[in-house]
Amino acid sequence: MTSAKTSVMTIVRTESLSRVYNPDTVPVHALRDVSIEIDEGEFTALRGPSGSGKTTLLNMIGGLDKPTEGKVFINDHEISNMKDGARIDFRLHNIGFVFQHYNLIPVFTAAENVAFIMMLQHRNKREIQERTDKLLRQVGLGDRQDARPAQLSGGQQQRVAVARALASEPRFILADEPTANLDTEAAMNLLDIMEKMNREQNITFVFSTHDQRVIDRARRVITMVDGAISQDETQHQS
Amino acid sequence: MKTLITLSWRNIWRHPARSGVLLAAVMAGLWAGVLTVGLVNGLMHQRIDYLIESEITHAQVHHPEFLAEGYSWLYLPDHEAISDWLAQDARVRSFTSRTLTDGMLQSPVKTAGVRIRGIDLTTERQTTNFHENLIVGDYLDTDIRNAIMIGERLASEHNVEIGNRVVLTFEDVENELISASFNIVGLFRSASADYDQRNVFIRSDEFNALLSETAVYHEIGIMLTDQALAGELVDELNAAFPNIHAQTWRQLSPELSMMVELGGVMVVLITVIIMTALAFGILNTMLMALFERMREIGVLISIGMSRGRVFGMIMLEAMMLTMAGAVGGMILATLSINYFKDRGLNLEMFAEGAAQIGWDHIIYPSLAMGEYLAILAVVIFITLVASVYPAYKGIRINPLDAARDA
Repeated sequence: MTSAKTSVMTIVRTESLSRVYNPDTVPVHALRDVSIEIDEGEFTALRGPSGSGKTTLLNMIGGLDKPTEGKVFINDHEISNMKDGARIDFRLHNIGFVFQHYNLIPVFTAAENVAFIMMLQHRNKREIQERTDKLLRQVGLGDRQDARPAQLSGGQQQRVAVARALASEPRFILADEPTANLDTEAAMNLLDIMEKMNREQNITFVFSTHDQRVIDRARRVITMVDGAISQDETQHQS
Repeated sequence: MKTLITLSWRNIWRHPARSGVLLAAVMAGLWAGVLTVGLVNGLMHQRIDYLIESEITHAQVHHPEFLAEGYSWLYLPDHEAISDWLAQDARVRSFTSRTLTDGMLQSPVKTAGVRIRGIDLTTERQTTNFHENLIVGDYLDTDIRNAIMIGERLASEHNVEIGNRVVLTFEDVENELISASFNIVGLFRSASADYDQRNVFIRSDEFNALLSETAVYHEIGIMLTDQALAGELVDELNAAFPNIHAQTWRQLSPELSMMVELGGVMVVLITVIIMTALAFGILNTMLMALFERMREIGVLISIGMSRGRVFGMIMLEAMMLTMAGAVGGMILATLSINYFKDRGLNLEMFAEGAAQIGWDHIIYPSLAMGEYLAILAVVIFITLVASVYPAYKGIRINPLDAARDA
């Protein structure tokens, strides 16, 4: 299993992951015995119809939810058995999140949204300022640092969200339907940015999506049906 | 911390109208509360000052058994030495010696028990302002022999008036019963109807002539340059003259002392009542703000903000919002108190009723720095209590709710 990956580090590993909601009333099996590995530098899409379990899997990997059975390892740290406070701290330092609805703090400017996570990490002021500036320039918003989310378009907000996710220098970025609310131009622009970061900075991205535009750009596509992995394929980009 | 403060402050102003209403409510509540406390305080201090300045004085000296027994032979030993001691003490503004005993006042209508007070007109005027209670006639400063000044109520009960005579009967220092006729020269009305019915005033030299072969004094009333010095002065007096009993006004009049304590409690009590009512407003506003931001707070927890920080953020929002209103209210109240401090708040419509119970209808509000701080402490405490529940709800938010699609 690991023989072919001697030179690449596995960032995410799940072992026989199951998640059952309402086990005592009407059990819903959101995940059934899911075991996957995601290596450093991957650009992976989780796809499947609604209710297939892709968001549940993303939540498990992100430490937002706990499995009913099985284990989740991030960089060989088992997060599935961590206490709540430890998992929050682990997320702060290891995982970046991009949400479908951007979820920026509306009372903060773009720069403050990006800087906030680094402040939570107690970084020094100068480093925060420099990194915020750099990240916003990387996502093409160097000139909109002082704009509040309401003053930005959806695409711009999602780019701020990507910059925020990258600010803490996480091991990987989890993006839940990041393009679902974007028009084609904004979606392609966002994908260009994420793809560039993946290629140039070796940042790992895992998406849950049913957006064909994202699936087409992913190098690995994991298809889920009824809470289980039905297909796991590697795509070659043209 | 600075970021958390910035975030909390901006969160408050997401809904300026909602926050503004709470801010105005806190401001109005605190203004009304602090002003009320200031008025109650002023009223009590006026009452206490009146009683000290007109009668009790800051400290008194008696024979150790006089206050309990009231007999004329329990007069002050070493009166001259004590007078010399007081005259040389820089803390003593003035003092007056009084000759006292309990006796009977007899009029053509009835007989009543009274305390007969023999006073020195000059030193009594310098020490107290009781002479201001005279409403008709003379303050014993007349050529009429055996002059007496009695309370207006007592005169009314006995159906006597100025120019009439009454008979005082009392025991002299030899335990002999003495009776003498006195001419009513003045009527007084003090703050206490009870006091007016139980006390009569005569000149101490005439009293002494009936009471003893030599002048005797039962009480020395002492006014100091600062009432806070009373404790140390009486300690020194008691040490210097072991045969007497010196007491501060607080010891002499526990009910006055209790009034002072009550004033302190009232400050807290009124603030607690107002803030408890406002606490529901704070709770409501914070819960509304929380329910609107469940998803956002979930996101904050998702991206790594600890639940402790979320708790702190919500508490901080409530605290900043309330404190802004509280400080505003207290500034308004301070301005109001300062305005009325010298002018007085004239409640003339209640003048008659207030006079019946010995209170002034013009109130001069006052509030000490310690009382402002006590109010602030109550505001902080109640706000913390009111915001604990929203903050607790905040930390119970499941970050999955944020990750879930709308």
